[in-house]
Formats: sequence, structure tokens, C-alpha cells
Amino acid sequence: MESIDKIVFGDNQFFGINHMSQEKAQQLAEQFFDLSNIINVYQIAYDFGIRAVMLNSNDRAKSICDHFKNNKTKYPDLTWYPSIPYPHKYANLISEKGIIPTINEILFKDNSALGIIGMLANGGTAVFDKDAIKLMKMLVDVEMRMFKGLNVKVIFLQNLITDLILGYEVKEIFEGYCNYIKSKYKVLPGLITQNMPRLLEKLKEWQIEEVVVCSSFNEIGYLMSPDIESYINAAAQNDPSKYQLMAMSTLASGAIKARDAYAFINAQPIQSVVFGASSLKNIQETMSLINLKKL
Amino acid sequence: MITILKNLMSMNDNNKVKIGIIGIGRMGITHYSILNSHPDVSIKAVVDTSGHILSLIEKYLKGVKTYKAYNELFRHEKLDAVIICTPPTLHYPIAIEAAEKNIHVFSEKPFTTQKELGLKLSEIYEQKGLVNQVGYVNRFNDIFIKVKEYLDFEVIGKVIRFKSEMFSCTITKAEEGNTWRDSQENGGGALFEVASHAIDLIIFLIGKPDKITGSSLTKIYSKNVEDAVYATLLYRSGISGTLNVNWSDESYRKPTNKIEIFGTGGKILADQHGIKIYTKIAFPEYKLSQGWNSIYITDVFKPVPFYVRGNEFTSELYHFIECIKNDEMKNRCSFRDATGTLEQIEAIFNDYELNGKF
Repeated sequence: MESIDKIVFGDNQFFGINHMSQEKAQQLAEQFFDLSNIINVYQIAYDFGIRAVMLNSNDRAKSICDHFKNNKTKYPDLTWYPSIPYPHKYANLISEKGIIPTINEILFKDNSALGIIGMLANGGTAVFDKDAIKLMKMLVDVEMRMFKGLNVKVIFLQNLITDLILGYEVKEIFEGYCNYIKSKYKVLPGLITQNMPRLLEKLKEWQIEEVVVCSSFNEIGYLMSPDIESYINAAAQNDPSKYQLMAMSTLASGAIKARDAYAFINAQPIQSVVFGASSLKNIQETMSLINLKKL
Repeated sequence: MITILKNLMSMNDNNKVKIGIIGIGRMGITHYSILNSHPDVSIKAVVDTSGHILSLIEKYLKGVKTYKAYNELFRHEKLDAVIICTPPTLHYPIAIEAAEKNIHVFSEKPFTTQKELGLKLSEIYEQKGLVNQVGYVNRFNDIFIKVKEYLDFEVIGKVIRFKSEMFSCTITKAEEGNTWRDSQENGGGALFEVASHAIDLIIFLIGKPDKITGSSLTKIYSKNVEDAVYATLLYRSGISGTLNVNWSDESYRKPTNKIEIFGTGGKILADQHGIKIYTKIAFPEYKLSQGWNSIYITDVFKPVPFYVRGNEFTSELYHFIECIKNDEMKNRCSFRDATGTLEQIEAIFNDYELNGKF
């Protein structure tokens, strides 16, 4: 399995996402309403040596992708770690219309460019009847359109979706996803989760390997189910040739000081850290503090 | 030996709480995932009107039975409990039938669409000693639990006035008016769907108001129902508060409850993620100094065994299972609690009809 970047630059700060404070989230949303402010932060991160970016396929991600596609020569060695989908887009539609009409709408409305018309001709909704895997592949393609032309290394399934399916314990969906990402996109499949020990256990049981697993990992156990001890044990027993581990929420939305947070993270046998920051000072500080063990 | 093991295993399965889930929409999907993670739960069957959904379930969830109608479920399955996630008008007939079969019920909010029906169900379930719970999830949010603790300890003295608000981006464009959400009779509209959470939070934290006045129901995008609600809530004790709800506010990424409570000893501002509290005196036992203090979710959260949409969604369902397994456990959001919210909803509709229209 190809090694992932040790440090990946995240995107929560740009989209008004802060798990600790909605006030802080709102401030950030205001600051980054203007795309040029987002691009400036990416430029600072790039200048400091960031070469990997995680980006969720939300409404605003497309314009970010477009910027980097149009300026490819400026960032020749930048790799992308998309996370798909943006779950809130689906959530409201599902409670409004139900699951099947939602999927219909996302796949078939405004998506004529996807070449789905052919599929419709082949019996449109028949697709839904029995084959969730086919459906999942179509949804992946819709979400991945905006990243086309960028140098993608890992495609992550967003945590709400991963954990929802994990609860159902359906091997076929995970297997189908991972195989599709490998065969169609020729990149590593990734799964974001808030239940890392359980996910790893299931992936092993199902013999689904060569997957990147991204989860919250911080010394207060925030967003780490069932508990911090299980995470530390799971990481200690992990075989990185099968599962590369990436830590997110390392600062627990600011509850932990960066120095303490990374002293804890650096001691864990993990392969990568994704962090978000919006100022030169924080980017510089974080990059100097992350020093993962060589395994 | 194998026979003994098999017997042991089936006995284990027999000890599990056997559950049926009725309505596989947004909440049904989430509840299934969370409950399926519970070691003492076995999901036996689901009900949905969509053939597509049922055929997917049949294919991927081996051993789970599917039904197109809830009465078929009750006819064919021996269940301990059902989770009701249908549109609200169906909650009552389903819960009635469940009670006849002595089945415990977790119902999604707003429980029923009429307080009389809520009251009747409360009585039946209490009389039969069946576990009954409604999905007012804020009661399981670690921040609001902390706020309740502060209020019970009178950290801000005696409560005088409050503001309970809820905002979401549920309906942000013109509606065609053909879904259950756009029909008051079916339990749609911002008052049933969203304000119910803000009202339940008031009842949970402060108690049930005695009078509703100054109600306004405003349409923004919906054809037949209100998208925004204002109301004033009065208590005989002298407490007063306001309710402010808008489900067409695009500036909120996620549904957000905000509460502000003023008391004789200070003030609390809280949402699902944090508390700002001003106290006139210090409370060392609560690590509160005099003046402003901030408490974040990262200070008070309790990890859950399995996380899907937020700790509170797991906590409420695990609590439901705990109540089934342990007779002594008092349910934290019973049918009777939820009927209190229905009373307020009805009072707001009535007040608006009588006094709010020109």
C-alpha cells in the first residue's frame, strides 16, 4: 500500500465547523465566506511545506477545486484527500422525501453530465431494487466529479456514512466501496469514523485490507467511541501495512493545548495527522509539533 | 457439546431485547444503526411502505424480516419493543396496537398530534407498566444535562425569565405542499417539528408553563404550515419566557437549540456545544468562579459505546434498552413528559387562532 502523507491539511476551519463552539464556528464562516481568504490560507500552508489536503465535497468545495485545477503549475506536487459526501445535503432531503427519492434527486437532477441518461435508459429505478453497491458507485462518481483533474491519493467516506453503515454491519458495502475506489480511481480507499476500534475489528474480520482509517484521536477521548483505551490498544495492535491510521480532532476542538495534544499524538503508532488551522502562526506551530514515530 | 453451545447461543439470543423498527426514513436509519450496535438487542423486523427500501434490507440485512404495514408486523412477530419513526399521525394507532401486545415503545417526537391522544397513551402505558419514551434528544445532550444540574443546584438563584430558541435549515425553498411536513394535520410544520424540541427543553429545564400568549406563526417558504414561531410563556410562579423558532434559517448548518436563562443569582447561555454562565458568587464545587465562566462540550461529554450522529442519539436509545431491562429505571423522556409539550403546542395554535390573526 502506498504510504500516505504524514501531515494533511484539513478544511473544517473554512466551513464554519467547530465541534466546541458555534460562536467560533460562525466567526470562521464569516471570515471564510470569501473564497480568496480560503485560498490565502492554502497558500500559507503550501509555503510552509504542506503537500496534502483533505477536502469534503460540500457546496463550496467545487470552487476551491476549480482554483487548484486552474493553477496546477503553481502547486505541482499537491495531493488531495477528498472526503465524500457532504452528509447534510442528503440528511434534509431524506427526512423530507425519503431515501429513494433523495437518491433519485441527487443522481438524476442536474447530473445529466454524468452520462447517467444511458443508465436510465437501461431501466433507471431497477438499479435501486436490489443493488446498493451499484447505487453507491453512482453516488461516489457524482461526489467525485469536482475533484476530477486533481492529484488524488485517498478517497475517504465521511464519518456519518461510515459509522451508519458500520452499525448495520454490512460487509458488502465496505467491500464494494474499497474495491471500487481501488479499481476505478486507482487510489487508496479511506474511511473516516468515530468508532475506530470497532471499524478496524470489522475490517479485519471481513478481510478488507489496504485501507486508510481516519478517526478522532486526542488525549481527552473526545469523539472517540467507545473510549480512549480502546483506541490506544487498537493503534498499538495495528498492522500499518494493512491499515494506515490518520488522526483528526487532535486538539479536541481547542480543548487541548497544541503542545500537549501532539506530545500525545507523537507517542501513538499512527501514520498521519490531519489538522486544520487558519493562521500563519497556528500552521507553523502545528507543523513544528507534529513528529510521528517512524515505524 | 455442540448442541449445548447452540442452546446456550439461542438462549443468549432469547435474552436479547427483540425489536421492530417502523418507518425507515432519516430517523429510522439512524436508530437501526445505533440499536444494532447494542449487545443486548436483536432487530427482528422493519416496516416501511417503500418496496425499494424493503428489497434492499432483504438483500443486505440477512435474517431481518420486512413488512409493508405495521399490523402485519404485530401479527407475525413476537417483539419486546418497537421504534416508531413514521410520520406523526401514525404514532398513535401504532402505539395503541403495541400496547395491546404488551410491547414497549420508543416513539419519535412530536409523539402524537393531539394532547388527548398523548394523554391516553400515557395512561395506558403507565397502567400496563410498559416502557414508553419519546425522542426528545436534547434531554440526553451532555450540555443541557449540565444546565439542568446548575439550575437544580440554584447556581443562578431563582429563575425569573428565559428565552428558548431553535434554528435550522430544514425548509429553505418554496414548498410544493405535498409532503406530510407541509400539513399540520399530519404533524408537519415548524411548531410540531422544530419548536417541539425548544418547548421540551423548557419543560425539562424549567417546568411546564401555565399560559401561552403573544403567539405568531409565520410562513416563509411552506404553502400550508408555519416556518417560524414566536410565543410568550407565562408561569403562575412569576417566571416568564419567550420561544423563538425558525426552520428556514440557512445560516445554521445544523439544527441548533439556544437557551438563555436569567435568575436572581446570575445567567446561563447555552447551546448543544457549550455554556456561558455568569454567577454572582463562586461555586467551587462546580468549579465556577464569580462572574463569567465557559464550559464546553469537551469538558462535560460522556463517551458512548457507539457513535453515529452525536452522543445524545446513542444515549437516548441505550437508555430505552436499559429501562426495558431494569424495571426500577425511571424513563427520562416518557409519554407523559412529551404530552406536556403537546399541550403547549396546542395552546400556541389556539392562541394564534384567537389572538394572532387579523
